[in-house]
Parts: sequence; C-alpha cells; structure tokens
Amino acid sequence: MRTYETIFIVDPRVAGDDYSTLLEKYKGVLAAESAELLKCAEWGTKRLAYPVKKHEQGTYVLMNYKAGNAVVKEFERRMRIDDAVIKFQTVVLDGELDLSAPTAVVADEDAITDDDDEEDAE
Amino acid sequence: MSFAKKGAPRRRFGRRKGCRFCADSSLKIDYKEVRTLRYFISERGKIVPRRISGNCAIHQRKVTEAIKRARNIALLSFTSNRTVE
Repeated sequence: MRTYETIFIVDPRVAGDDYSTLLEKYKGVLAAESAELLKCAEWGTKRLAYPVKKHEQGTYVLMNYKAGNAVVKEFERRMRIDDAVIKFQTVVLDGELDLSAPTAVVADEDAITDDDDEEDAE
Repeated sequence: MSFAKKGAPRRRFGRRKGCRFCADSSLKIDYKEVRTLRYFISERGKIVPRRISGNCAIHQRKVTEAIKRARNIALLSFTSNRTVE
C-alpha cells in the first residue's frame, strides 16, 4: 500500500450535477477497489497554462488515496476512457500525506474571471 | 612547461546567495505550488540553471522535477505564452 496523489482536469463544460456525479463516480471507483481516500480537493475552474485537447480552461480535482498499484492502473484506465477528463497525473507520495500542507493556494491565484479570456480572442 | 594553477581570483557576486531551501527548511518544493516555482523559471518558461538560482544540487533536482510535473498537468507552460499573431 502506498500513498498516491492523482490530479485530473475535467472538461469545464461539465458542471453542476454532471460534475458532482462524475466526482462521485471516481470516488466510487476508488471505493470499489477498496482504496482509502484521504483527501479530495476541488480547485475549481482555472485557466490552463496551455490548451489541452482544445480546452483553454479546466476544472482541477485532486485526490489523495492509499492503495496498491493495481488500483492506480484501474483508476487511470477509467479516466482514459472518460471524455470528460481531459488530463490526469498520478504521483507517488513518499511517506505519509501531510494534510496540513497548503495545497489550495494555487486555486485563488488565477481563478477564472471573465475579463481574463478576451486577451487572445482576436 | 608547468601548468601551474593560475591563482584564480575568486569572483565574488554580491547577489550570490546560498540555497534558499537549505537555509529555510520550512519551504517545501511542491509541483502544486506554482507561486514558489515561478521564481525558478525564466520569462520564456525555461528552468533557471543552478548557477543562477543558487540552489544546491539536491534542491535543484527537486525543483526541476516539480516544474516538470507542473508543466505536465498544465499548471505551468512549457514555453512562454502563446503569441497573439
């Protein structure tokens, strides 16, 4: 059992109920694989540093969980199939997860504001 | 024919400061904290070399890894921002 951290970007058009069902779905995947979900942080919709699958924005979700390597494989397989997930990355954390660490700092930095998008509209 | 070592005059830079992560152990290197990493990338988005950033080998390696992870998940750009042309 190791501690993993998966961060994935959801299509920003998936919002509201669709979004929450998607989140529940992935939590369910982890639960079904008997992984222990330590933390699930939603960063909200942010502007991506570069376009991913023609999306300029994305909704970031961060999940920390304790599981074996097979779980990661299955989790990533499910995301690869899902069109709503545009990018994901899994990292092994060495040692225990420090829950006190400020991870949401980035979220407020460039949260999407409407005037942000007009720059490269021309 | 002796290659006697020239008494290399050590150049002293005033702004050369040691590794900031060694100096302050409370600083964490994390790919999610883009604000910290911004300090170690140039305007073009390149990773600043150690001779300029002043990091020690261990921490430079960690910074590099963190930047690459942040790039991968679109928190940092690989290059400078897209040109508007």
